[in-house]
Amino acid sequence: MTVLILTSQEDVTADMVVVHLNASGVPVVRLDPADLTGTVALSAEYVHGAFRGHLSSAGRLVSLESLRSVWVRRPGTAAARAPEPSAWLTEEASQALYGMLRGSGARWMNHPDAARRARHKPWQLRLAQSSGLPVPATLITTFPQAARDFAERYPDLVVKPVSGAHPQDPPRAVPTTRVPPGVDFAAVAYGPTLLQRRVAKRADIRLTAVGDRLLAARKATAPDGDPDVVDVRFAPSTAPWHPVDVPPRLAEAVRTYLREAELAYGAFDFAEDADGTWWFLECNQSGQFGFVEVETGQPISRTIAEWLAGPGPQHHSRHADCCGSAAP
Amino acid sequence: MQPFALNYARPAAELEFATPYAYDPGLQLNVLGDGRIAARDHALLRELGTTTSTAGSKTHFDD
Repeated sequence: MTVLILTSQEDVTADMVVVHLNASGVPVVRLDPADLTGTVALSAEYVHGAFRGHLSSAGRLVSLESLRSVWVRRPGTAAARAPEPSAWLTEEASQALYGMLRGSGARWMNHPDAARRARHKPWQLRLAQSSGLPVPATLITTFPQAARDFAERYPDLVVKPVSGAHPQDPPRAVPTTRVPPGVDFAAVAYGPTLLQRRVAKRADIRLTAVGDRLLAARKATAPDGDPDVVDVRFAPSTAPWHPVDVPPRLAEAVRTYLREAELAYGAFDFAEDADGTWWFLECNQSGQFGFVEVETGQPISRTIAEWLAGPGPQHHSRHADCCGSAAP
Repeated sequence: MQPFALNYARPAAELEFATPYAYDPGLQLNVLGDGRIAARDHALLRELGTTTSTAGSKTHFDD
């Protein structure tokens, strides 16, 4: 049975997993939905109560019933590279591809419905709370007065995008940024604003969850680092990532989160404070893992390959075939 | 009328750069000029940062 990987060609992180699948002799078909109607083709028929379908890509043909798992890694927009792309064609191609795959019975990492829900950071915060993860005091508001009141209660704040997305016209990044004291919050009225108590961190934690397997890495904050630089993605730190054990209670909470979110994969970001508490910041359902593996040697790509190569179609209810608690 | 969070925006990092490997549809892997599999060269991946968590990506924000 075959593993289907939906991602772009330049995704060298996906390559790390393909290498392990190849070594295990597990058949792989890798395609980018952006190439639909070009080098990627599909067909499915629903006749006399039966469903059969096929996908082809670069000369490979795979039937939908032979798929054991689907890894939605970094797929392009469906039909984006078609000879005559359009929003209508993208919707048609997306509905055809993902609709067919939903009927395949394959296990998902991650199911598109679960992935879409999991991208909502306000939802993440609430789920983290109910799962037992420590969450820094957070406010999302369009009321300037609410922001002022929150800043009085929590004078040391950071601001970051609610969605995690970044403006593209022109391309800009909005890193998590420390809010200076005495700032004017009037502009809060012009867009939902996420303010969060700054965690005085002594380390960043990246916890990569693959099914039931949790692999955590720790990057120490430089003692002489600039306290105004909050976002590790923008920090010029040269401190390495090191493997770190996951505290048992936190591991239990993370597994609860994954089960409730119906995710088979999640990249959790935590800030570790001086007491050693791991404060939940976010969980990216398709977060990068290659940089952690190459620095720590943790077998993340192998673990993903093993999950994808697990038992094939299981006709569970809802997204049960995609959950972190599902048997690998 | 600019939303509060955009007061802290900065130009996005330039993510487009030439990589020393190219996709091989037969292997379904990216291959270096000398034929080696790029994903096996962790030193190279570390140097290029192509597997790194970033911000400001046009197409993906799941970092």
